[in-house]
Amino acid sequence: MTRLGDSHLRRFRNLKKYKIGILLIVSVIALVYVSPLLWMFITSIRPTWDIYKFPPSVIPGAVTLENYVYVVTQMEGFGRYFLNSAVVTGVTVVIVVISSAMGGYAFGIRRFKGQNFLFMAVISVLTIPYIMYLIPIYIMEDRLGLRNTWWGLILPYVALNLPWGLLIMRGAFSTVPLDIRDAAVIDGCNEFQMWYKVLLPIVRPALAATTIITFVFAWQEYLFASTLMTKNEWQTLPVGVVWIRDELQTLVYGRIGAMIILSIIPVFVLFIAFRKFFIEGLREGMIK
Amino acid sequence: MKESRLTLLIFLAPTLFFVLVFIAYPVVYSAYLSLSEYNYASDPTPKFIGFKGYIETIFEDSMFHTALINQFKFAVPYFVITFLASLILAILINELRFGASFFQVIFYLPMVIPLSLVGITFAWLLFPDVGIFNHFLRSLGVSNWNIDWYGDPKTALNSLVVARSWKMIGFTLIILLSGLQGLSKSLREAAKVDGANFFQEIWYIVLPNLKPYLLISGVWILINAMKTFELVAVVTQGGPGMATLTLYYYTWKLAFERLDMGRASQVAYITAVIIVLFSWGLNRLFKPEAASRA
Repeated sequence: MTRLGDSHLRRFRNLKKYKIGILLIVSVIALVYVSPLLWMFITSIRPTWDIYKFPPSVIPGAVTLENYVYVVTQMEGFGRYFLNSAVVTGVTVVIVVISSAMGGYAFGIRRFKGQNFLFMAVISVLTIPYIMYLIPIYIMEDRLGLRNTWWGLILPYVALNLPWGLLIMRGAFSTVPLDIRDAAVIDGCNEFQMWYKVLLPIVRPALAATTIITFVFAWQEYLFASTLMTKNEWQTLPVGVVWIRDELQTLVYGRIGAMIILSIIPVFVLFIAFRKFFIEGLREGMIK
Repeated sequence: MKESRLTLLIFLAPTLFFVLVFIAYPVVYSAYLSLSEYNYASDPTPKFIGFKGYIETIFEDSMFHTALINQFKFAVPYFVITFLASLILAILINELRFGASFFQVIFYLPMVIPLSLVGITFAWLLFPDVGIFNHFLRSLGVSNWNIDWYGDPKTALNSLVVARSWKMIGFTLIILLSGLQGLSKSLREAAKVDGANFFQEIWYIVLPNLKPYLLISGVWILINAMKTFELVAVVTQGGPGMATLTLYYYTWKLAFERLDMGRASQVAYITAVIIVLFSWGLNRLFKPEAASRA
């Protein structure tokens, strides 16, 4: 009894010190962890002479926005990549959300023969090396003239992101209580009305999760984009920025840094605004 | 309400279209390609040769051997670093009373950055001469320290590992944190009452109960470890020499530089088989209840 009481008391006294210790450790790790990104940002706001002086310094000798101004006003390619990324990602998200809301209903609420087999087959997509799809898709798109078009990238992106959306949407639909559906039936809804007017509003968080996850994945895709979009004017940001780096040869890391920061701002904003849905959706997909 | 087959088919139509045309057909067609000889530039159609191509790839293709070895040299440290780092971080963050969500955002941020841009960022960080990391090492005392991390065959692959782990940790952190949050508080309280210190508590109470989640993150890291493309393509192009030639990058080179679609499909299929075997093996290694949850 005394031992128990003692240890409690000791714990209580040590609690604060020990919690602060952990907070400190995590803070240091976090600082080291963001340092690559931070360093890119610092590089992007320095003039070129300050970036390439030797020895280098962590604190900028001068702060400037000239790299950003240059990228936005002088580099036409960058604007074009941004447009390509926005269109491809936007259309992909719309199609994935609609398709997985429909498919998720079929898998989560309807019962049919071969349901589980079909679902598992769709989900196994996630483990297969994507390059296996890429080779036939490349040949197919080459023959159909789809390479170097927006649709040439959108169609495979939808296929690659749909399984994740289906996983999330099926989970959401299967938790909708039966009596809600029964009530809709009594009200005289047909199946499409029930899906659209009754069920979709209930699964809105899952729709948000599918939206943000698809956006993040499509925005950063590199393998398909770099292979299918061989003409510079069709490239998306992850490919185009690399292309500019290779093309310039002379090292202008200030501008490259500015391009990287500008490329990730849209996805950062969305991620921070909708991180709850993003994390919930990933958790749903990865754990189940 | 009438639940007809027609409405079911309509609801499934988009899924079926995309999966059949862009997933199922490519899987079947590349299986056929892997049993064929097909140079996309010169051959009008694939020529069926059976398993001859596989035998050549597995026994005679020295670049394939290099890529396979490199892949494992990449996968082992990648697995260890990502797994341990995210586990330690998850345990620490789970202890925090406040600020936990702030730190989560920081560690999740790299998840949304394109890998190709992560590559450029790390290449700049680890740059020789004016690179800040070398400068940092010099200021620690080694005055002539100037390593070309991605240019030296001894360090190139491991430097890729660091960049790849940096991006992956957020994903496994999500899995492990949700596992930790699911642990019942009373279990840990009981251990505290019994006089267990922090490390005993973690070792005897937390880790055994976290097993299913450890397994899931292990499988994800493993699947990921076999897909090493973007960083190699952007930072090292397989070099210096063949020091960072991975299976994925080799497949891509075969397919889109040499246009040897047959050989490329063989390597892709071998990679897929390795991934399936590994995730299956990892599942078997753990208890059956863990396997059924994954």
